[in-house]
Amino acid sequence: MEKIRKKSVKTWEHLNESYFEVRTDDFKDACRHLYEDLHAILRVMFACDEREKDGLFRIYTVFDLPGIDRFIIVVLPIQESDPSFPSLTQTIPAAHWYEREISDMFGLSAQGHPDKRRLVFHEAFPADSHPLRKDWSMSETDKQEWGDGSTIKVPHPFMEVSGEGIVEIPVGPVHAGIIEPGHFRFSAIGETIFFLEPRLFYTHKGTEKHFETLGFPEGVKLAERVSGTSSFAHGAAYCMAVERMLGLAITEKASAVRTLVLELERIYNHIGDIGNMCAGTALNLGYMKGAVIKEQLMQLNEILTGSRYLRGLNVVGGVTKDVFDQADDILKTLDGATREYKALMELLLGSVSHVERLENTGKLSKDIARKLGVTGVAARASGLTDDLRKSHPHLLYDRLIFEAHTHEKGDVLARMLIRAEETECSLSMIQALLESGYKGDLIVPLRAAPPFASAMGYVETPRGSLIYWVMSDKEGKPLRVKLRSPSYCNWPAVPFAVHGNIVPDFPLCNKSFNLSYSGTDM
Amino acid sequence: MIKEILKNIFSKKRVIPFPEGFNVSPTQVAKIVDFQKKVDTIFGRSLRIRQIDAGSCNACEWECTALTNPIYDIQRFGIDFVASPRHADMLLVTGPVSRQMEFALKRTTIATPEPRLVVACGDCAKDGGIYKGSYAVANGVGNVIPVDAVIPGCPPTPTAIILALSEIIDKVAR
Repeated sequence: MEKIRKKSVKTWEHLNESYFEVRTDDFKDACRHLYEDLHAILRVMFACDEREKDGLFRIYTVFDLPGIDRFIIVVLPIQESDPSFPSLTQTIPAAHWYEREISDMFGLSAQGHPDKRRLVFHEAFPADSHPLRKDWSMSETDKQEWGDGSTIKVPHPFMEVSGEGIVEIPVGPVHAGIIEPGHFRFSAIGETIFFLEPRLFYTHKGTEKHFETLGFPEGVKLAERVSGTSSFAHGAAYCMAVERMLGLAITEKASAVRTLVLELERIYNHIGDIGNMCAGTALNLGYMKGAVIKEQLMQLNEILTGSRYLRGLNVVGGVTKDVFDQADDILKTLDGATREYKALMELLLGSVSHVERLENTGKLSKDIARKLGVTGVAARASGLTDDLRKSHPHLLYDRLIFEAHTHEKGDVLARMLIRAEETECSLSMIQALLESGYKGDLIVPLRAAPPFASAMGYVETPRGSLIYWVMSDKEGKPLRVKLRSPSYCNWPAVPFAVHGNIVPDFPLCNKSFNLSYSGTDM
Repeated sequence: MIKEILKNIFSKKRVIPFPEGFNVSPTQVAKIVDFQKKVDTIFGRSLRIRQIDAGSCNACEWECTALTNPIYDIQRFGIDFVASPRHADMLLVTGPVSRQMEFALKRTTIATPEPRLVVACGDCAKDGGIYKGSYAVANGVGNVIPVDAVIPGCPPTPTAIILALSEIIDKVAR
């Protein structure tokens, strides 16, 4: 740590975030030191157009040190006249998507990045157009042509595998089931997948730019609509970031409500996922049983918040409703759901054909998981103890007793078991939360945002760590809202997990990760 | 598992008309019975829907999936979701239509045989919803392909989708 402090030109702190601004020459070395010597995880890397403040772009590289509740953020200022930065990908593979994204969105190129292709934008998007720059605009004809998709402005070739017996299978973006769009290009030898290249960002909606047009309080609505099944977590992380930026402390009551609802969201997702995995092994009974339990929990969501996706509960400064008033409803539904869930698990683990399909399928090794910065269920199933609830206790998680479960094997079965163990854990956490009383108002009054203030918000969603970072401009409006959903970290790991598996097992592997496309594409 | 299957075979339970959790008023119940008759007569007990995600947040998709669970069980009306647009009578499009999905949406529409119904499902599909005005969306399905009907809601609940479908079919009948 001292090494970085010595090298930095400027340092500042905000709550548990330590910022170190370094020179371009020291940037790579500082990051390498954190990653290799101190075993830090790269949580997120993003750029910010701060030209209205001091004429500079800045790149923020957020590291998370194991065992300490502190984020180390290495900041690299970039002059407009020289829009480039040294690439970290060769040392820290987890940086590879972030750097390509920065180059797409800001036009800051990563020098030395092994993949020169664009990430977010497809062929029809004009070259040298970077939406997150403050002075960016797009002509109507360009928009039209982008939508038509017929003109190739910047070619985007797929990686090609050649050789005897190699068959290329293109799938998507419109898939056979009711799922989100994405294109997958398999290179298979017979039935075995040799190489998979996913191409995502079909649902890119310009979310981050859109945040800048809304005010901070209105942004919650948009955050809740980034990824459907993690609506509440996105809302909570966004609110947390804004509250930390404003210096607002929410009451114990509001924290308790958020913790409770986050766990409710985790349960309905995990049980739904366990059920969905059965669809991948053609065990329809399990699939339907899972769907019924999920439906019951969704109906509980509707009773509690008026929305089946828990929308509208979070606001900056607290929550709109005290769900503890409906403790009886929660307990009643959970009681029934727990019983059915136990029966479901007995059914699944007792079915040899089901377990056999899951075992040794879609293995993700610990080494690759760490290198790619995999998070959440997928990381824990591969032996990494990655749980923001433990490492950075937010809301009321420091008062609750729970475990960050890990498995070593990294296969589909391990991911299912982690979900099952976490479900049981969450059920007991909800019980514990409902047993005690909490004080305080639901909402604390808002304050105006100071100019150029920034802060991070983070939450452990059912899929893994979710991070928001917000910064205000000189009028206190949003200058930048960065969101990094857990799926964004986990997508690059899917090709590694499916390598060597058969093509019919791909849906199963994919379901075991259950990644959000919309959350990734933003 | 055999126990489960046997239990289901020998239980006296038949198809449940309006299961628990189906939060509907008596007039809506009448509507749905009527709806079933119409699906029977107009579509020969078979209305096939192809769902297309054109940039939605995935909430609308999960509500469509929920329609096929044992509680809503939309298949009992003769309605089902199909894998290929070539088998579809209706396209159920969700999302504000992101620019990068526009082309795929148009292609899928062309691949659906006529006569076809196009339904925009959800607030985003209606006019862009919360994403209205963003550079990367087309502000609703209607701006990309002709739309026959709209189902509002963010997301519309499974009950709302069934009720809306009954109204859409009512319109077609007339």
